[in-house]
Amino acid sequence: MKTSAFKIVAILFGAVYGLAFYYDLALFRYYPETNRFHWQTHPDAGPVILWYGWLATAGLVSTAIALVVPRSISDRIPPTWVWLAPALTTLAMLFYEKRWFV
Amino acid sequence: MITILLIVHGLLAVTLLGGLTHQALSVISAPAGGSPRSFIDRFRRVNGAAYVNPIIVLFIVTSIGGALLYPQYRIDVRPMLEEMDARAANGIFEIKEHLVAIGLGVLPAYWLFWQQPLAAAQSSSRRYLTWLLAFIVWWGFLIGHVLNNIKGLLP
Repeated sequence: MKTSAFKIVAILFGAVYGLAFYYDLALFRYYPETNRFHWQTHPDAGPVILWYGWLATAGLVSTAIALVVPRSISDRIPPTWVWLAPALTTLAMLFYEKRWFV
Repeated sequence: MITILLIVHGLLAVTLLGGLTHQALSVISAPAGGSPRSFIDRFRRVNGAAYVNPIIVLFIVTSIGGALLYPQYRIDVRPMLEEMDARAANGIFEIKEHLVAIGLGVLPAYWLFWQQPLAAAQSSSRRYLTWLLAFIVWWGFLIGHVLNNIKGLLP
């Protein structure tokens, strides 16, 4: 993997994770009471952990995009985008999650 | 077993917090001239680049530890918080898991921007990525402790 692709992963990972969280796009679901992973929802299996699935979705999508973007493009990505995108994602997430405190 | 894992997770987090705080302060421009005199001066006059690989390894390993602890939290702690109507406690944990995810995503670029020789054109990006990671680790550390002690903290 070309190292300039790391910049694309940094820019996309948090955003894709946010979308996976918001639109319920977890790649898989883990049910700790039954210690089972499922692709689909299993309401009878007890509480679910989606976080692993959101991480997997974000990792797969951002890495796949980073791998197909030509180096001529990834090399030209301004360094500022690499920290600004995750910082903005963080701010958006904090804004959305204020729902817990009202 | 879960108690041992929790303690190891906490110890790894302390190590990560220390290293990242050193590095986060090291990227602040040093005042002109003079030798380091204050504690803060000495604290931040470290070779930040030397911390990169240990910080990446510690971040990943500590995150894996948190992921292994998560099922116990989901089964035992979260339902208790919901019963107590402690919405804010649930909220700060949700934020913690999102922040750790964002942190994992920036690690490759963090590594890239700290490669030697350090590129002057990337100094501000290197600084802000380091500060972002430091914020994430401080949040995770403090919230982890609050939630671990939540029964004693709530009335």
